[in-house]
Amino acid sequence: MNNPDDEVTARPRLKFTSIAWTGCVWIGFAIVACALAPLAFHLSATSTDVANAYASPSFAHWLGTDGLGRDELARLLIGGRITLSVGAIAAAVAMLIGTAYGAIAGYYGGVVDAIMMRLVDVFLSVPTLFLLLFLAAMFHGSLIALMLVIGATAWLGPARLVRGEVLSLKERLFVEAARSVGASDARIIFRHVVPNAGGTIITTTTFMVATAMLSETALSFLGIGVRAPMPSWGNLLSSAQSDLFAGAWWLIVPPGLAILATVCAFNFLGDWLREGRDTGVAGT
Amino acid sequence: MLGVAVLAFVLIHIAPGGPVAALVGDRGTPAQIAQVTHSLGLDKPLYEQFFAWLGALLHGDLGFSYVLQAPVTQLIAQRLPPTLLLMGFALLISIAIAIPLGVVQAARQRSRFDRIASLAVFVAWSMPTFWFGTLLIALFAVTLGWSPVGGLQTIDTTSFDWPSRLAHLILPAATLAIVSIAGWSRYVRGSMIEQLREDYARTAVAKGLGPSTILFKHVLRNALIPFITLLGSSLPGLFGGAVITESIFAYPGMGQLFWQAALDRDYAVLLGMTVITGVLVVLGNLLADLAYGIVDPRVRYE
Repeated sequence: MNNPDDEVTARPRLKFTSIAWTGCVWIGFAIVACALAPLAFHLSATSTDVANAYASPSFAHWLGTDGLGRDELARLLIGGRITLSVGAIAAAVAMLIGTAYGAIAGYYGGVVDAIMMRLVDVFLSVPTLFLLLFLAAMFHGSLIALMLVIGATAWLGPARLVRGEVLSLKERLFVEAARSVGASDARIIFRHVVPNAGGTIITTTTFMVATAMLSETALSFLGIGVRAPMPSWGNLLSSAQSDLFAGAWWLIVPPGLAILATVCAFNFLGDWLREGRDTGVAGT
Repeated sequence: MLGVAVLAFVLIHIAPGGPVAALVGDRGTPAQIAQVTHSLGLDKPLYEQFFAWLGALLHGDLGFSYVLQAPVTQLIAQRLPPTLLLMGFALLISIAIAIPLGVVQAARQRSRFDRIASLAVFVAWSMPTFWFGTLLIALFAVTLGWSPVGGLQTIDTTSFDWPSRLAHLILPAATLAIVSIAGWSRYVRGSMIEQLREDYARTAVAKGLGPSTILFKHVLRNALIPFITLLGSSLPGLFGGAVITESIFAYPGMGQLFWQAALDRDYAVLLGMTVITGVLVVLGNLLADLAYGIVDPRVRYE
């Protein structure tokens, strides 16, 4: 209320809905649990104990053990670190490429825009998962490569959204003002136009984290994402078929629930941000 | 369409490994490698290779898979029908659930049903499909024993067996459909709410027509017009989803072939399948555009 900036931009004050609140709390909890718990309890995700394979949940192993006797809770928490960081970094990569691409296409318009967006259409007519599988098979190995591959296949949506936003922003007075004092195109695009598209960018990033997490887990499930023995929420489920016949529900339900809840939380947050912004646009 | 072909070709050719490595194996001498490279025409400039490949493509020849030792066209011809059947079935399920759900939600906007359904749709939208498929197997195939675990049809029947095929189709199709049900019902709901605010809908109410007549005869028809475009553009997603679904249910279709080819780095198959899928997607969009013209008389094609 006392912040004068809010008065000027008439920024909509978002009402924190219970569902967005739940999403936030869950994401916070997941991050803290995955980051700290393995340190606090000296859990190991890789130490095997074959004599104790497929043990059902007990006091020693809260979520039981897998087919090699590894503690499932430890694997879930350490896998969460991998899945969450791959999701965040891949989303950042996608947003960087998409924002730059969309901003340039939208700002220059005309032939440049037509050619650049045609290229996006071409990419969009190839199933993303095909592209993803293909690139992941090609650069199979390091975690960094996986983040880059997921980011490189997810930038199309952000590029389109940012372009749409920039198309309308570039007609605004502040762009003309910047141009009249002799700012270069690059400076106008990245110092003036892009920050004004911040709302769209933040909202899209939230959805992108959810998408990137689903991509990572699907690839790991298919055996070309995060490599065993390093756990991720996706490859914890890659042996789900054999676990199923061993009757080990504790190996199938928790990782899936973890993915579902976290992806849901990010989508809730994104949806809430978008709705808040839509009403804000109507108000200004 | 040419764009897809160029994209696929460029992608494949920046890839490490390839047909030569597959043919010669790890212990090939440099001379052997050079000889095989030459006999496949891989030492020619890239643009020459591209036009040779494009020329063959236009004659319906997609190349030869050195990993599977079969022409790519033949492999795809074998795998395409089961996948199209699976996708068609999934489409039917999605439409049959998504449209009524969206309509009822729009009609009872902000009711308790609407809220619960919206939440359920949101959860379904965030669902990791491979986990959902696994849960379906756990529940319906392993625990209840109502349906088969996977495959195309029961193994001991060699001929085409419809009841068995259908039984093997239900779980994979449900898995493939879950995300589109979520996305589409959300879309139908939004579109219906928008249309209900239009003047013609209010006129219909003023004329004293029953709610179901208004909803289904007047509003739904208008709300479905943009839905057709959505249907066309969701094809790539369905193809992608088929990869996951087919791998869970050991369903021998295109998706499984693509997955195997990616693991084996079988570039001829990857290239051929990307092109074929691209063509199917473009055809699907064209079909959607034509259907658009039929449903909406305001659209005319010269």
